[in-house]
Formats: sequence, C-alpha cells, structure tokens
Amino acid sequence: MLWKLLRHHISIPQFAGFFLANLIGMVIILLGVQFYTDVQAIYNGEDTFMKADYLIINKKVGTVSMFTGSSVAFDSDEQQDLRQQPFVKDVGLFTPSAFHVRAAFQMQGLANMTTDMFFESVPDRFVDVASSRWHYTEGDSNLPIILPKNYLDLYNFGYASSRGMPKFSEGIVGAITLGITVSGGGNMQQFDGHIVGFSSRLNTILVPESFMLWANKRFADHPVEPTRLVVKVDNPTDERITQYLNDNGYETDAAKLDASKTSFLLRIITAIVTSIGLVISILAVYILMLSIYLLVEKNSTKLENLLIIGYSPWRVSMPYQSLTIVLNILVLLLSFGALLLARGVYLSMLAGFFPQFDSPSLLPSLAVGLFIFIIVSIINIIVVRNKVMSIWNRKK
Amino acid sequence: MSHRTRSRHFSMQQIHLIDTLPQVFSDRTDLKSDVWHHDITLERGQTYLIEAGSGTGKSSLCSFVYGYRNDYQGTILFDSADVRTFSVSQWTEIRRRHLSLLWQELRLFPELTALENVQLKNRLTGFQKSSQIDQWFELLGIADRRDTLVARMSFGQQQRVAMIRALCQPFDFIFIDEPISHLDDHNADIMGQLLVAEAQRQGAAIVTTSIGKHLNLNYTQVFKL
Repeated sequence: MLWKLLRHHISIPQFAGFFLANLIGMVIILLGVQFYTDVQAIYNGEDTFMKADYLIINKKVGTVSMFTGSSVAFDSDEQQDLRQQPFVKDVGLFTPSAFHVRAAFQMQGLANMTTDMFFESVPDRFVDVASSRWHYTEGDSNLPIILPKNYLDLYNFGYASSRGMPKFSEGIVGAITLGITVSGGGNMQQFDGHIVGFSSRLNTILVPESFMLWANKRFADHPVEPTRLVVKVDNPTDERITQYLNDNGYETDAAKLDASKTSFLLRIITAIVTSIGLVISILAVYILMLSIYLLVEKNSTKLENLLIIGYSPWRVSMPYQSLTIVLNILVLLLSFGALLLARGVYLSMLAGFFPQFDSPSLLPSLAVGLFIFIIVSIINIIVVRNKVMSIWNRKK
Repeated sequence: MSHRTRSRHFSMQQIHLIDTLPQVFSDRTDLKSDVWHHDITLERGQTYLIEAGSGTGKSSLCSFVYGYRNDYQGTILFDSADVRTFSVSQWTEIRRRHLSLLWQELRLFPELTALENVQLKNRLTGFQKSSQIDQWFELLGIADRRDTLVARMSFGQQQRVAMIRALCQPFDFIFIDEPISHLDDHNADIMGQLLVAEAQRQGAAIVTTSIGKHLNLNYTQVFKL
C-alpha cells in the first residue's frame, strides 16, 4: 500500500533515460576492461615458458669486440651489479653447452635430417613447464627440449613448403622423438629428445639445467661463461631498465619491448574508452538523482504525512531505494549479457589471428561491474535517505 | 507486528508545558491565555478541552507537542524529557505508540480509499483488528464509503475517516484538533463515544480543541487559549 501511494509521479521516461544511459555506460566500461584483459592475455600468453616480466639480456656484439676478442660473457662483477639494481627481482644465467650436439630427425619415409645443434639452460624456476615434464636425472635417456618457435615456422613455411613436405603443428611435433647425440672430451652418448614446447621469446634450444650441469662436466672440452641472462623485473616498462641497459651496453630482446609498447598503447586506448563509459555512467547516475529528487519533491506532501502518522524515514525511503537498486541490478545483468555477446564476436575474431589464444576469465569485468553497482547503489541509498530526511527537517 | 518490548513497559504519564509560546507571538503583550506563558500539566487518563479563537495558535500547540514544529519558546516535557532532545527514531516511536493526533486539516491521502487510509496506519502499528475497524465505519455511518477514494468524499466524511485512523494505534494522549467542525450533532456524539471508549480502554488522555462547537465530553479541565 505504501508503494501504491509512493509510485505516483514516477516518470517512466526519466527512469528509462537513466536505465539506457547507465546501460550504455556500463557496457562500455565492462567491454573496455574485458577487452583489455583478453588482449593483454594474448601478449602475455604468447609464450607459455617465459612470463612477461622476464627480460633476456645480452651484451651488444660490435665490430670492435669481434676483432679485439673482448668478451660478450657476463663476469661475476657484472652479474652482481645487475642483481643489485632496484628493479631486478631475480637473475638467472643462461648456461651454454660446451660439447657437441647432433640431432637426427626421422619421419618414416618422409624426412631424414641431421643437424649440428647447441643447447642452453636456465634455472628451472624461470621455465614455466610442469616440473614432471621438465627434469632430467642422470642415467635417463629421455631429454626434454624447448625449441624456438622460429624453428617450427622456418620448417613449416620455408623448408616444408619448398620440398612439398607435410607441415606440423606444435602438438604433432611434441610426439616426435629426436635422436640426440652428445659428444666431447672423448665421450659420446645417445638421448631421446622430446620437444615439450616452443617458445617465441627464447631464441635458443633449452634443456633442463640438471642435464646441462651433468653434461658439461662429462663432455666439456673447454670452459664456458654465460653470455645471456634472464632477469625477472617488477615492471618491464620501467624507464630505469632501458637506462641501465644503455649505460652498460646491454641489449634486451626486441620483441619484448615491442610487445610492451603495443601493450602501452592498448592500455591508453582502453583507458580512454573506459573513461568515456565512466563519464556516461556518471551522467546516467546524475539523471537518476535528478529524477529521484523530482519524484521525492512531487511526493513530498505524501512523504511528510507518512512521517507524521509514524512511518520512519527509513521505511519511507525504502521503496525508492529498492526501486533504484532493482534498476541497477537490471543494468548490471543486461550489461553482462551485452558483454558476453560482444565478447563472443571479438573472441572469434581474435581466435582467427591467434589460434593458440586461451581466453582468460571474466572475473575482472565482473568485479568492476559489481563494484560500480555497489557504488551507484550506495550513492542512491544515501541520496534518497538525505532527501527524505530533508522533508523530516523542513517541517521543523 | 513489531511491538518493541521497551514500549510495553512504559507509558507517558504527563505532558508538561513550561512557559511555552509560539515564536511569532514573542512580541505580543496583550496575550490573555491559560496556556501560553503558563505552567500547565496534562495528565494521562484525563479529558481536556482547549477553547480558542482563530489565530490563537491552537494548531501550533498540537504541532509543537507532536514534534512537527519547534518554533516555540519555553519548554515541553514528556514526563521529564525535553522533547527538543528527541531523535528521529524516538519521535517515530512516540507517534506509533504514545501520541495520536487528529489534524484539523486531516492529512489523509486523497489517492487512497477510506479503508486504505486507515489500513496504512493500522498495518504500521498492527493495533486494531479489522473487525473493530469495520465496526467503526458502521457506527460512523460511512461503511458504504469504505472503498471510495478519500478525494471523492465530503469533508465531514473525511473527518470520520481521520478519526478512525487516529484510533488505530496505542496512545497515552490523543489530541483532537477541531474534530467535528463539519459533523451533525448525531455523528459528533457517536464520534465522542468512540473516542472516550477507546481512550478509557487504553487509560489515555483526550485533549480536544475547538473554536466553538466542541465534543460533548466530561472534561476534567477547560483551558482558554
């Protein structure tokens, strides 16, 4: 009955206006957040073995150093200095192989290739592969290997195309065994190499560190020093990193920096789009506030009389508060619906560009949506309450 | 409904007006009143008539006591508590449990029917049975108008609806501001009987005001405002 009394003067057009505007604002915000999350995942998810905040650095190889023979290896002072930089969280050494590696690749009746190779290793904590697949114990004949993605591309799009040979997906290659022959120091041993993955960040052939330590001891014919370092940093876009690298004549992998530039641009664009959504939402909330002000104003005599016959301000505010919260819930649900629809469209487009793309969760946009809902609802509740209290106080 | 245990244990015994005066009268020197600028006490269980001419502040007095306005000088005490110190929730509680007021301007909701107007109050307090309400509608001769919008009723009919609404709550004091200005003597008598019966049942005080025609009750004390 309270509602029957208070619903008088509710302006459907005003509420519809708020509803639509807030819906549009909310959809833009949620889409912005979700799109950012999704696309960011493509940059980060490009390489499943190396996380985004890892940088691989090496010294520049210049013409002079070629002739003077000055080392491109990192000595312990340089490593120590790097470890002490404030932006560095962890440093790992690339250990190169000091022995001969020969790999044979056999496909029955199709291909039979042998090639000289080399191995490198990094500490296992930098490699994001299940430890059950990424380990080597002495005496084992199975050897897990991570190859650069380029190798597969070179084979698929260069070699296989020109020879009319079949192309391989990452999955199929993982099932192939490579015949690995390791020799040096008068010893020689055979291993079955299994490719556990491809990396687009690492331009090297990676084996577990435990294998490398053991093999370097057994087969090495000369000592080796690390020429590359993997560095875990807080923020790959940190200015100090670039500064430090330049000062010391170091280089980092270019692709990573490109990715971070693109990701920076993406961040800006998303921020702009999301702010537009935010502005629309704020305006929508403003419309709602005005509408409620008008509504309460038009119904002020009724509200006053309700307060006079003993209705508490809380009780009298509740119908209007519930109304706005129901509206807000509808906006939230509908905008999630719209988000799912729109996301379905762009995800299928993204899947065309990035076949291995693994879509991340909806959690960030869900959280943002809920957060906005809660904030807007709290503002609504407070405004209605204040308005009703002003009626209570006006009569005094 | 939501009877609070606290309110069951105490009832208001006194309304004490000390030196009270509407602020608009503050520069008047010619006041001859039994109420303004006096010390008067209204006791629970008694019946009072406040006789007043137009513009002497009778409705203002009701508003001050009911916490609706506070533009007065002096002090109003409920028992020993100064009403100026009451919080919003205390006033709400008082209006539901201790003090009923039948406004001169009635303050009904014209967009609701007569019965809905009464129910709006009774559902808040959960005080009267619907059979009792039906009986009052019968007695006051407006049973056939129960489902009529208040906007379509005469002022005399509306006065009776407002009276029923005023009785739909527990009270220690009931203020009746010119209740029968538009009623014939017959209906006025019935209304008086209802009021007295309900007030006696509750042990409450009746405070009625009039500018001429007044309810024919057995008054304890008559004040000239």
